Amino acid sequence: MKNRWLPWLLLAPALLLIIGLTIYPLLYTLFLSFQHYDMYSMLSGETKWVGFENYRQTLTDPFFWKVTRNTVLFGLACVMGTMVVGLCVALLLHTKFKGSNILGIAILVPWVFPAVAGGIVWRWMFHDQYGIANFFLVKLGFEKFQGFAWFNSSFTAFFIIFLMIVWQSFPFIAISLLAGFQTIPNSLYEAAEIDGATGWDKLTKITLPMLKPLLLILFILSTIWDFKIFDQIYVMTEGGPARGTYVLALYSWNEAINALNFGMASTIAMLMFVLLIIFITIYVYFMREDEAVKS
Amino acid sequence: MRYKTTLQKICIYSLAVITFIVALFPFWWMMISSLKPSHEIFSKVPTFWPRNVTFEHYTNIFVRANFWGYFKNSLLVAGTVTVIGTGIASLAGYALGRFPLRGKEMILLTVLFVQMFPLVVLIIPLFIIMSQLNLTNSLVGLVITYLTFSLPFCIWMLRSYFSSIPIEIEEAALIDGCTRMQAFRKVIFPLAWPGISATSIFAFITAWNEFVFAVTFIKDDQLRTLPLALQQFFSRFTADYGGLMAASTIATIPVLLFFMFFQKRMTKGLVQGSVKH
Repeated sequence: MKNRWLPWLLLAPALLLIIGLTIYPLLYTLFLSFQHYDMYSMLSGETKWVGFENYRQTLTDPFFWKVTRNTVLFGLACVMGTMVVGLCVALLLHTKFKGSNILGIAILVPWVFPAVAGGIVWRWMFHDQYGIANFFLVKLGFEKFQGFAWFNSSFTAFFIIFLMIVWQSFPFIAISLLAGFQTIPNSLYEAAEIDGATGWDKLTKITLPMLKPLLLILFILSTIWDFKIFDQIYVMTEGGPARGTYVLALYSWNEAINALNFGMASTIAMLMFVLLIIFITIYVYFMREDEAVKS
Repeated sequence: MRYKTTLQKICIYSLAVITFIVALFPFWWMMISSLKPSHEIFSKVPTFWPRNVTFEHYTNIFVRANFWGYFKNSLLVAGTVTVIGTGIASLAGYALGRFPLRGKEMILLTVLFVQMFPLVVLIIPLFIIMSQLNLTNSLVGLVITYLTFSLPFCIWMLRSYFSSIPIEIEEAALIDGCTRMQAFRKVIFPLAWPGISATSIFAFITAWNEFVFAVTFIKDDQLRTLPLALQQFFSRFTADYGGLMAASTIATIPVLLFFMFFQKRMTKGLVQGSVKH
């Protein structure tokens, strides 16, 4: 008898906290997105139900679409960059050269690096006057990088943030893929070799198809991480120049915490959430579809 | 593996060296810059090894900028989150990994889902709730909000550790006259210890590095955690790169040390968490 209640007793604190700290706030955000809720409402407790008014305003705002476009392009670029670099490094580590263990540890350093410290260091490396990057670029013969200000245009600023994100997130992908490689039986490769397969064949016809479930998970995880990037952008550009490096996470946060327009901010957050779900559905759909064709 | 030609070897090693440099260069550059005197930092031709090593930036940030206080805040918050998070998550992970529960799949899915969605979505309601409870601008409030991300993550990791311990061991202990709690304490817990320690290091590192909640909730200077203090320092003294690099180094070293000591366990845990579902 005691046994029947024991597991629930053990689960209770965790479940209560999860419900209180995440499920309830999520529903609250949804609720707020239909409200006119600002600083005054917070102090007085008076709120006004406005239906889809917040959504109408947001969806007709050109700036929202500009930020959405930035978020999607930047997010996808980061996901692709991270996956490609991660895959290459995983393949490199899988060749098991002398010292591959050390490299396997060394690449994890960026991954534990605090995002804020990382952002500052990258900003310093790409400093217009004294940055090491410009120094090297000029040395290599690209004279126009003499004093080049990377953070004066949103495109180049995004580019540096992109490099920094890929630098921070490829290790996780590489290590996970490496572990995935080790689950593939060697006999498959041996059979393929007998049939005369090249290295490229083996990668595209055995390794990647075998790792499809893992790749799907990694794609989803990276998408979730890269679409909600906040720290790095906040530290490196604070959204500037002229709100040029705004992404949805930063936009929503700023609308809530600085403009104290909680209702509107919730709407943006919900739309961002929907966007994420759309992307994840697309991935799942494509990965499934492929499998059906093959079998 | 297989026989490699010299050309292949050269390719592999040069790629390895490039990867190594790209991964570690920012870290090394941060350390080197923090040890250079200001005039050497701002010289047209950068030096790759500091000519005159100085610790002036470190004394500056500790004496003038109160970084010791921020360091203590970070340690306090991350430590508390780790203890509470792994403690509660161990119980839940044990329950989920051991007992056939009704609705277990549902709970696991929720935990996974919660772990994945963007924190920014939670910040707005948490900000309102915390303001009403008077918990903004307090380290207690910060610890509570940090549980939003560390708890689901710890449960997810620990569940897989607990379910990997053979149930027979526990049954044997029960037959030998242990109560369930004794069995947990004397048999299961020691066996799960590697998993628990790996999970707690993860929890510590994520809490230590956390920024969004800190910047949202903390307003007082004395209550800032390291990442927040770092960001504030950066936006105020943009040009003091020596101090900034020293402060960044201070924020990075603890997690790196942790990581170096436990990297084997952590890598294994990381892989288990993502590969084995």
